[in-house]
Amino acid sequence: MKSLVRIHALASNTFREAIRNKLLYALLGFAIVMIGAGALLATLSYVEVEEILQDMGMAAIRLFSAGIAIFVGVGLIHDEVERRTIFTILSKPVSRSEFLIGKWAGLTFTVWLQLVLMALAFVLVSFLAGAPLSIDHAIAIGLLGLELMVLVAIATLFSCFTTPMLASFYTFGLWLIGHLSRDLYLLGQQSDHASVSRLAGALYSVLPDFEVFNKTLEAVHGLPIHGYEVGFATLYAVGYTGAILILSAAIFSRRDLK
Amino acid sequence: MRAQGREVVRVENLVKDFRVGFGIRKRRVLSDVSFSALEGEIFGFVGPNGAGKTTTLKVLMGLIRPTSGSASILGRNVAESEFRDQIGFLPENPYFYPFLTAREILDFYARLSGVDSSLRVRRVDELLNLVHLEHAADMRLKTFSKGMLQRVGVAQALIHDPSVIFLDEPMSGLDPIGRREIREVILALRATGKTVFMNTHILSDVEMICDRVAIIVKGAIRQQGRIADLVGAESREVQIVVAGLSADAAHEIELGQATLISGSGDHVEFRADDKRVQDILRVVLRCGGRVLSLSPLRPSLEEVFMAAVAAAEEDR
Repeated sequence: MKSLVRIHALASNTFREAIRNKLLYALLGFAIVMIGAGALLATLSYVEVEEILQDMGMAAIRLFSAGIAIFVGVGLIHDEVERRTIFTILSKPVSRSEFLIGKWAGLTFTVWLQLVLMALAFVLVSFLAGAPLSIDHAIAIGLLGLELMVLVAIATLFSCFTTPMLASFYTFGLWLIGHLSRDLYLLGQQSDHASVSRLAGALYSVLPDFEVFNKTLEAVHGLPIHGYEVGFATLYAVGYTGAILILSAAIFSRRDLK
Repeated sequence: MRAQGREVVRVENLVKDFRVGFGIRKRRVLSDVSFSALEGEIFGFVGPNGAGKTTTLKVLMGLIRPTSGSASILGRNVAESEFRDQIGFLPENPYFYPFLTAREILDFYARLSGVDSSLRVRRVDELLNLVHLEHAADMRLKTFSKGMLQRVGVAQALIHDPSVIFLDEPMSGLDPIGRREIREVILALRATGKTVFMNTHILSDVEMICDRVAIIVKGAIRQQGRIADLVGAESREVQIVVAGLSADAAHEIELGQATLISGSGDHVEFRADDKRVQDILRVVLRCGGRVLSLSPLRPSLEEVFMAAVAAAEEDR
């Protein structure tokens, strides 16, 4: 119980700090402009106008919310150490694991909040353009929220031991790979060499699969999203985030805070 | 003599190496450091810049892992975190979230320290009053001066009423009034039975308030013990200041193995072995002189400190 109080204190403080980050507002502003620009772009087409508008909007939401998660997340731990604010925090009965979880939870909540704001902009633009909206759009946005939860954990991991610059490269790289890892796995399985198949399988089991959370196509084109897919994505997000945070804690607990 | 009890802080054979040059070489910053602080005392951990004071304190706070040796507080390994509700820590040049107010940051630390929600508001107000920041309670920390931030640092270290308090350069950035106030806070803590461990290189503060000290130079403990013992161990001489003494009488005293330091007539200063004091005083009184002062000549803590630094240089 005391642990939860401490994590909550750290998370709410991280949230208060994150919402003061000007980069967050710049990316959020760009995202909303891009969602709106989808309406203009859609007018260039004679067919599937609503689908183009919503494809553009969902892509903008995914890209910019990932950008916020990465660029705010990579400084999450590094900045605390550089500014030495961590010294007074860890001198209290706060374990390094609690500190990490608190920071991760605070930023995840921040990213979810901006996701909600982008989603509201998306709903408004769709409504004004007369594009259909359904529960599947909400599910797709919710799954994106899970993707961001994993992405913040990855950014937190790199922030534990490297500079924000390198951490942003690594996190962005993993995000890109995470959207391609399933294709790489399938490609590996088609290889004639067993070793290539095994390597592809091993990499796929370690690397994140962010396509698990990508149901944009289904939502925009009215295709069904099955309950088991949502359930699996949720379990996958919780499991992968948990594993990354455990790894982060193991690395961070060994680090000297000079 | 102040009653002191069990060992509250115990450091044994502590060694710390830092990896440098892409981790290939190692640099030893602490070598075989051992000392202990007792319950209810103000313990001064003294050393020049770069001696290893802050590194030692970071080991005690669990921020740095020792290469070898052990450190415990209240009998608990410093790697643990649960017992830290019994300790307070003020780092050197503390930095706090600039977007929070003094009240908010203290509330944040109180929550982290497990202060009951029903007590938090009162406790925050008490600490703001203690460090004289009640007028700035709702100002954002980004508007605070260095001295004000130092006071916030002291307040956060005490927010949960810990029994052992670690202060790294607590007087840093404070004006003379602020320094006196912090000294008074530290003395008040001792009066209530708390143990205070103080890192500093300001020897006048140490001499004024510390019970015991350890002097660390180049990562090794050079001296430790009660201040009175450290500065008094070599006291063999006395200084005698006399008035109304004729030149002949002064010469007679000089012949009696005292050293005339300065003056004549109304203010004559001698230095002599303490075994000669009785003889000198007899001469002074016989010649109609008046004794203005008689004081043992002890090395100051500064001299003890400088000797420790010089010894470290020689050992290198």
